[in-house]
Amino acid sequence: MLESIGNRELIALDGLGVRLQGTYHRPADHAFPLPGSDPIANRPGVLFLNSLSLPRAASGDSAVRWADFVAELGYPAFRIDLPGLGDSAGDASTDLLDSINAGRFEAVTAAAMHELATRFALPGMVIFGHCAGSVSALYAGASSPDCKGLILLDPYFHLPQAKRSPFRERLSDWARRSSLGTLLSNLYDRVRNLRLSLQGEAPPANANTQLLNRWKQVTATRLPILLLQAPGIKAQGSKPRVGEFNYIDYVVKLAGRKSRVSAEFVEGADHSFANREGRAAVQRHIAAWLVSHFPLPGPSLNVRGVSALRAGETQTDSENTQTAPADRCCALEGR
Amino acid sequence: MQNQLHRNGQVQERAGYFEVAGAHLYTVLHEVTNPVARVLLMGPFASERHNSYLPWVRWARSLAAANIEVLRYDYRGIGESTGSFEQMTFEDWSQDVLLLSAWLQNRSPHVPLFLHGLGLGAVLAGRAFDEGIGEGLLLWSPPANANQALRATLMRWVGLEQIFKFGDDRKSASDYIRSIEQGSPLDVDGYRWPVSLWQRSFDFALPTALASEEAAAQAYTRPVRIVKLTRDAAPLTKGGVVGYDDLKDFGWLYAPNLEWILSAASKSGKGVACA
Repeated sequence: MLESIGNRELIALDGLGVRLQGTYHRPADHAFPLPGSDPIANRPGVLFLNSLSLPRAASGDSAVRWADFVAELGYPAFRIDLPGLGDSAGDASTDLLDSINAGRFEAVTAAAMHELATRFALPGMVIFGHCAGSVSALYAGASSPDCKGLILLDPYFHLPQAKRSPFRERLSDWARRSSLGTLLSNLYDRVRNLRLSLQGEAPPANANTQLLNRWKQVTATRLPILLLQAPGIKAQGSKPRVGEFNYIDYVVKLAGRKSRVSAEFVEGADHSFANREGRAAVQRHIAAWLVSHFPLPGPSLNVRGVSALRAGETQTDSENTQTAPADRCCALEGR
Repeated sequence: MQNQLHRNGQVQERAGYFEVAGAHLYTVLHEVTNPVARVLLMGPFASERHNSYLPWVRWARSLAAANIEVLRYDYRGIGESTGSFEQMTFEDWSQDVLLLSAWLQNRSPHVPLFLHGLGLGAVLAGRAFDEGIGEGLLLWSPPANANQALRATLMRWVGLEQIFKFGDDRKSASDYIRSIEQGSPLDVDGYRWPVSLWQRSFDFALPTALASEEAAAQAYTRPVRIVKLTRDAAPLTKGGVVGYDDLKDFGWLYAPNLEWILSAASKSGKGVACA
């Protein structure tokens, strides 16, 4: 058995005493144009976190591809399993979503970033989080001086209903598949919208105020942040479903004009971003954003239409195809 | 070189890459001192890997805690393994089973080797067992052929996708099946299924002698256990909610299967060193 192949190397971290398993994607050789130059000085690493309980490869192994892509651009990339997830040690909480929303992985993520930055002599880390992973990224980003930027895919700022009752599930399913149900669902949305308009610009009662405070903290430091948003359920473009609070607009306003927040809507992506449109768009956006905020010396700073995928991979991500589904129990529901 | 994950008492987990033709398989060895048996785990297919990862890892850890050495791995082109998923065939994945089982067996030939598969992994395990590999076989919800496994994966994905679609936007499983049967590859939860995968899946079958435990008892002298998992076993089977059901207690499932392996190992006729 090997611990290193091609540009990948298996690594273990001891964040807060828990053994974490991860994969390091070494930056490509062409990213070091100057003989004798420090290969990774002045370029942050990119750390990918688990999305809820998914292993570090993520839906459709997207995180593997994105990490390969980031490494091909010239940035060291790391994917780790947080405690109790994937191949890492530790026990996962049975109320995982609630605990993540309360910042369960803040300390261990910060410790992991510090360990990686020290071990690989990096000036800091950019954290990449998707859905619940973006919540952990935000908590850790606000508390760790090692964090130099955030890439957040479909972040949410509310506290989702833990688990729907079977009756509610059946009702929702009926509403989705029948004409009458869809009609009633639309009516329900209108009623919610009326209620929403009465509360003005204030976030709803189920807003995650602790997380919003972290958001304010982190944006006040002018940390560069990239927000990528996929179309939501019954959404119209980048606007949320009728009756749902527009958290993305809210947090962008909350960040203020001096912040360095870029919010992008990814048409054609699904919530997992694992479909081809989603994957390709994520690559385009993170390439442009990384090069803009963390430019590399020499010719490698150009985004050269890099198409690095998995070792031996031949598929292209440019075709239009059917979408893949969002994760089950999407935390975005119930905004 | 191997990457040691952690050590709990006598158990340590080593992640590594195993070289096969044109690719590397990601493996995790749950290594124990003087094991009473060894088990090669063949897990669920493609996107099912992600849904069932936590209970699958916990099962491996339960076995290792009982002094059974375990090797689990990702199929070529899936998860942490390299290779292009679109170019993989059932024969490639079968070849991987043969290579890994040989490697595991060679660690100490006097210790009985068991094969354990779930879903498509059960078909792979069953076929390897039929070729004479392993001293015992454990199958969880074995499909009759690979097509049934693909259909189960597709059904689960369609069910999930429908949660996010309304009215006419909702496509049924038969719509997708019609599409791939008419020659269009399918993107299922981030994996592109080539048409050839679907076509060949009908002929990649579980040996008929493994249709039931009774049939297996007549065909083989080695022990076989077949367990049909119910919805209670979600997300190892269809259903469940990610982030909730993959964290629930599976002791009711692990315990009897663990006992069976221990019992079968003790009767295997292979010497159990220092057990």
